[in-house]
Amino acid sequence: MSARLMVFSLAAAIAYTLAYYFDWPLFVYDLTGGELRFFATTASGPAILWYGWLMTAILAGLVATLIVPPRLIERFLPDLLWFVPAVLIVAALLYEKRWFL
Amino acid sequence: MITALLILHGLAAVALLGAITHQALAAAARQDIRRRSFFARFRVTDGALYSNAVVVLFVLVGAMGAILYPQYRITVRPMLQTMDLRAANGVFELKEHFSALALVLLPAYWATWRQSASDYATARKWLTWILAGLVWWNFVIGQLLAAIKGLVL
Repeated sequence: MSARLMVFSLAAAIAYTLAYYFDWPLFVYDLTGGELRFFATTASGPAILWYGWLMTAILAGLVATLIVPPRLIERFLPDLLWFVPAVLIVAALLYEKRWFL
Repeated sequence: MITALLILHGLAAVALLGAITHQALAAAARQDIRRRSFFARFRVTDGALYSNAVVVLFVLVGAMGAILYPQYRITVRPMLQTMDLRAANGVFELKEHFSALALVLLPAYWATWRQSASDYATARKWLTWILAGLVWWNFVIGQLLAAIKGLVL
């Protein structure tokens, strides 16, 4: 159970980073119409992609818990659990550096 | 309604900040109860007791933040863009990513605090410190942006 939760977190965190890097929201929330547009990346007016990125991540995490056997990576889990989030934070800082240049 | 939710969001965030900071310091502490300083005593606590509260508070704060987010996009972000406050926009974008990363890392964080195996001691400590750092960032940036422009029109 614990190992599956850890696999979920790692997969979802990686998937979230990929989702915003490559614009893979599960849906877009259209602020003008107040509706969800599935598998879209734009809307007619201002839109929120964050909800969609988060859902993409959760979905990927759930799929990973089903298909990745925890025993396969159990040996590496203790190290991956802090190393992967640290790398993903650096990736977020690098991605958003455009606002500060 | 928005103002009440923003205040609740802030209050829950303060509770979360306190809980995870206390836990992070406890996770890094050597359990030496003979030391008498305030800081040493502050750190001598059972960190495992905080994990449920941290998860519940984080989900609560995140849910309220998600509800408030459209209002931010309508009220605050256009103003930041008009005033060309790019750094303010950027720090909020980071807050957005850090919130999502922390939310999906919660199951692993919770699981490490349930593991008695010493193999997970390092992961438990660093994951807690990472989450504490993200919570601090999000709290400070939330306060900063509220100071620049509140959510109410």
